[in-house]
This record gives sequence, C-alpha cells and structure tokens, in this order.
Amino acid sequence: MIRHQVYISPNEVKVDGKALTIKSCGSAMLTDLYREHVGDYPKFFKMDTLSKVGFIASELLLNAEGDRSFDPREDRAVIFFNRNASLQDDTAYQATIQDPENFFPSPAIFVYTLPNIVTGEIAIRNKYFGETSFMVIDSFDEKIIMRNLENAFQDPITKSIIGGWVDCSDEEHFEANIFLMEK
Amino acid sequence: MIVCVSHNIISPLGSTSAENYAAVKSGKSALRRYDGLWGLPEPFVASLMNRDDDKNGRYTIFEKMIIESAQKAISDANIDAASDRVLFILSTTKGNVFLLDKRETGFPKERVRLGMAAMQMTEYFHNPNTPLVVSNACISGVCAQIMAMRELEAGNFDYVVTVGCDVQSAFIVSGFQSFKALSPDECKPFDANRCGLNLGDAAATIIYTKKDKVGDNEWVAYRGAIRNDANHISGPSRTGEGSYRALMAVLGDLEPSKLAFVNAHGTATPYNDEMESIAIERAGLSGVPVNSLKGYYGHTMGAAGVLETIMSMQAVDDNNILATRGFETLGVTHPLDVTNKNRSTEKHAFIKLLSGFGGCNAALLMAKGGLR
Amino acid sequence: MDELIYTLKQQIIEALNLEDMKPEDIDENASLFGEGLGLDSIDALELIVMMEKNYGIKLQDPTQGKEIFRSVAVMADFIAKNRKK
Repeated sequence: MIRHQVYISPNEVKVDGKALTIKSCGSAMLTDLYREHVGDYPKFFKMDTLSKVGFIASELLLNAEGDRSFDPREDRAVIFFNRNASLQDDTAYQATIQDPENFFPSPAIFVYTLPNIVTGEIAIRNKYFGETSFMVIDSFDEKIIMRNLENAFQDPITKSIIGGWVDCSDEEHFEANIFLMEK
Repeated sequence: MIVCVSHNIISPLGSTSAENYAAVKSGKSALRRYDGLWGLPEPFVASLMNRDDDKNGRYTIFEKMIIESAQKAISDANIDAASDRVLFILSTTKGNVFLLDKRETGFPKERVRLGMAAMQMTEYFHNPNTPLVVSNACISGVCAQIMAMRELEAGNFDYVVTVGCDVQSAFIVSGFQSFKALSPDECKPFDANRCGLNLGDAAATIIYTKKDKVGDNEWVAYRGAIRNDANHISGPSRTGEGSYRALMAVLGDLEPSKLAFVNAHGTATPYNDEMESIAIERAGLSGVPVNSLKGYYGHTMGAAGVLETIMSMQAVDDNNILATRGFETLGVTHPLDVTNKNRSTEKHAFIKLLSGFGGCNAALLMAKGGLR
Repeated sequence: MDELIYTLKQQIIEALNLEDMKPEDIDENASLFGEGLGLDSIDALELIVMMEKNYGIKLQDPTQGKEIFRSVAVMADFIAKNRKK
C-alpha cells in the first residue's frame, strides 16, 4: 500500500500530489530545497546529482510521513530504479582520465560511479540497516517497478519500502518519482 | 523451492564451469602484472580475457561475454529462451563503461546504458521481456540471484537466466588505483600481509526455476538477504553490521555445523577482510571454514556473486572446500578458519557472502537437496 | 606563506565540494579530519590528487597524508618545502 509519494523534476516538485512552491530550477532548486526542508546535513553538498535528487526526495517523503525518528531500524528497505545508472558521474570521472597529459583520476568522483550509492546515502542518514537495492531498466516501466517492490516483501524483515524511480543524466536533468510503501 | 538448472563460467581460466573448477582446484590463477596497458601510468595486477578480436563486429567484449555465457547455460538447461516465461537478469556494475572513452569509436555511445547492453543479449535470444539489470556495486551478483528467486517464488516466470559480468578498463582500474585499493602483487585474502585487491574479467550464468520436489543432487537457492551498514558510502562498518545482519537473516535456525563453508568476499583489502571476520564471528560462524576465490580471479565485480556461487556448488559436489589462494597467516583480529589448502567435506550447504560500496552487504544460503 | 594558505583553502573547498564555506571559515590551525572539518578517507585521497595536480607533489604512501593533513598550516608548510610547480 502506498502511503506517500514525491515527484521531482528540474522545474516541479510535488508531495502527495500537491505542488511545492519553488524559487529556482535544476541544480539550484535542489540546493534551495535542501536549505528550506533539510538544512542540517552538510554531507548533501558532497553528493553527486543522483544522490542529491534521491536524498531530497526521500527527505520530503519522510517529512510527509511525519514524526521523524533517527532510531536504527532494519524493517525499511530502500529500492530504486533508473535508466542512466550513474552516467553523470561516469562522464565526469572519464573527464579526469581522458587526457594522458592531465591524468588525475578523482577518488571523490569515482566513489559515486555506482548508482546504488544514493540508497546508501539514505540508509546512512536514517540509520536503516534493511535492504538497499538498485536496478536499471532502459525505460520507466511502472509494472516492472511495482512487481519488484512487491517481491521485496518476501524478505520477512521488510515491512516498508522507500522505492521508485530516481534518474539523472546530467546536473540539470533529473527525475524522481518515489513513494513510501507498506506491506 | 528455487532450484539451479544449469550454470556457466567464462573467465581467463576457461569457458565452462567444469574447466574453471578444474583449474582452480589445481591452484591455477590468471592473475598477472600489466605494465602500460590501456595507457595507464601505473602497473597493475589483474586477471584479464584476451581482447584481440573485439575491435570490429556487432558486440562489445562485454556483450560477447554475457551472450556466450548465457548461451552455454541455456543450451545445457535446454529451455526456450525466446519464451515470455523466461526472464533475463543482468548483474553488472560498469557494463560497457569503456565506451565513454573518446578513443572508443566502434560502437554507439548509447550502449553505455546498462539496459541497452542487456537488451543486446535479450534481442540475441529473441526474448520479449525487458531485462532487469541489478547494479548494486560489488554485491550485484548475489542480489541478482535474490531478485531471480523472488520472481520465481511469486510465479511471475518459469525460468530466470541470471548473468553476471564485468570487464576491466582504464576507467575501473584507475578508479581503484585512485582509492589506493589495488595490491601491487597477487592479492592475499585474510592474510597478515594483504595490501589490496586485484581486478578481473569474467562472466557467469545461473539459470533458476521453481520446483515442488527437489532431488538429492539438485542445488537449492534457499534464502538470500541484503542489508546495509548505514555507516559510510565507501568504508566498511567497524562492527560488520550489514554483513552480520545478512548472515543472521539467511541462517535462520540453521545449525552452523550444517555448513561446509562460508565463501567470503575476501577482497584482500585491509578493511574488507577485517570487517568480514567481525561479521562472521558475531554471527556465530567462527567454527565454519572460510574461503575466498579472489586469489584465482581477482575481484570480478558484477560477476563475482554468480561466479563464486557456481564454484562453491561445484566444490561441494566434489566434497571439497577450495583453498584460499594467497592466504598464509591469519591477519584479521577475529578468529577465522581460513582454508589454505583444499580440504574435504561431507556437508551439503554453504553461504556466499558479499559486501560493497554504498554500505551494502548480501548473503545467500545454498543447500544441495534442500536443507537436510 | 599567508598567500599560499589562502589559495590552499580555496583549493580544498573546490576539491571537496564544501559549497557553504569560504576560506575565512577554515581555521588554518584546526584539524582537517575528525573534529575539525569532519573529512573522511576519500577526502584525504582527493587532497592527495589535489596536491599532485596543483603542486606536483606525489605521495606514494597514503598514510603519510595523516601527518600532512593535520591542518591547513601544516599542509602549506609541507607544500612550500616540497612543491615542484
């Protein structure tokens, strides 16, 4: 059963179907959303865009759930899907090694060249010891996403899931459509 | 119960599961030192496939490997891969990432998308379903098997072809070098002198189906679990939290004495192996033999979970616990019984354990003939 | 030396994405890791890359970083003595 839903695109943010007023677009919007709705987690600035989008979406989702608690728990999973995996970071990392004359591989970028890092960022923020998974399909397909999220409840520990679509092709192009789902 | 129908491994050590097992049992490794390969300024040790013939043609080396491995497993299983009751799941971390290099011009750049790479495989087999790609860092290979188990348990498909693969490139090797995570020599899992990992190319496939009754010699994927450390995106937990919890979840009420071994991740980085020793001890498994296969293959990333599960099944079939190549003296703080040579066993079950960036951990309990 | 310290602070902010900070916010004598800026092991590796890129200093042993990254002042001192560009 879906309890809450958050949608983010570069120029629109909706929580449970209701549009939030936003002052800016694209990457600037993500920073504004952080300052207005989170504010106390400076690690946000070090994240890549995919993680920023997933992180902000999860914060809005959990604020909508209310009664934020940061007590460790194992019964909540974080399971995301997208199309581009970690393409933005892959491209950024490739740029640090492309030129043999200017070859400086960046560890801080390389660490984000895995799409599942965003699920880890959310688990760390909220102390979720439960399942974290990331899957890629070449186009958004609600049926496949819902089927796999339903499947995840086969783990007897999992009682709720932050799940859905979190995609990013570059710093200014991204989309999140995630929800809080209960067994 | 979810049963393994067939499997295949393609690696520098062979192109069937049996060839790979025979090579590893006799202590062979394809790890060797590469100096100046792909224009990388620093040398590295890795287990690499021959790339001679991959410049022209329809498929990248990555796609060739997944198709070939899936093909062999499908033909052994004798199933109709074109049926809509068959699902393909691909486990990979970086797929065709080498296509991002401006010097790579032979293939469309869109094939860098993991879903596109996976579709090269499903189109080859005329399979109508959208392939699912599991990209969950280094635990992908076990996660993909867990996703397969769930799809079959739910009755959504009759067969799931689970393929794990990664191929090495300047991208991946330089990244691990920038982490100072690579060993300058062949890696030494759990050893006192371990100083990092080696990387490797491989593809591996397991085909699963659901059965009500299981024969004594059939392999059952009994239980799998994925858990997070909730600690750090790149550093393993100091309490082994996620691995410990994944182990506890798959153990259930199983007596540890029923286990032939735990096939650990054992990458040979100082932190990973130490973390695993903590998790394994916390889970009450210090009495169970532990091994790692990284000394034969290096870390094969998206392939590792599938490849190492297949090798472990074959070892149990052979009443054998494989030696941990590169291991001499225990170098973790918690007591583990790490195998330094092949050892016989009469037991029928094992646990495959993995951990990866993003704080993720996965465990899979495999039992021959079910738990008995 | 003051100029080097100021430049170094700017380079640290850029390399580590410390978006909210200005050079003035970093105390050059405070610890960079743990208590101070709260940086982690990946940040330390990124600083190693930054030193190589901007000053031509190559650290082979990452544990050497622990000493050098004690504070911006220590780092500046090390760079002044070892820089190749």
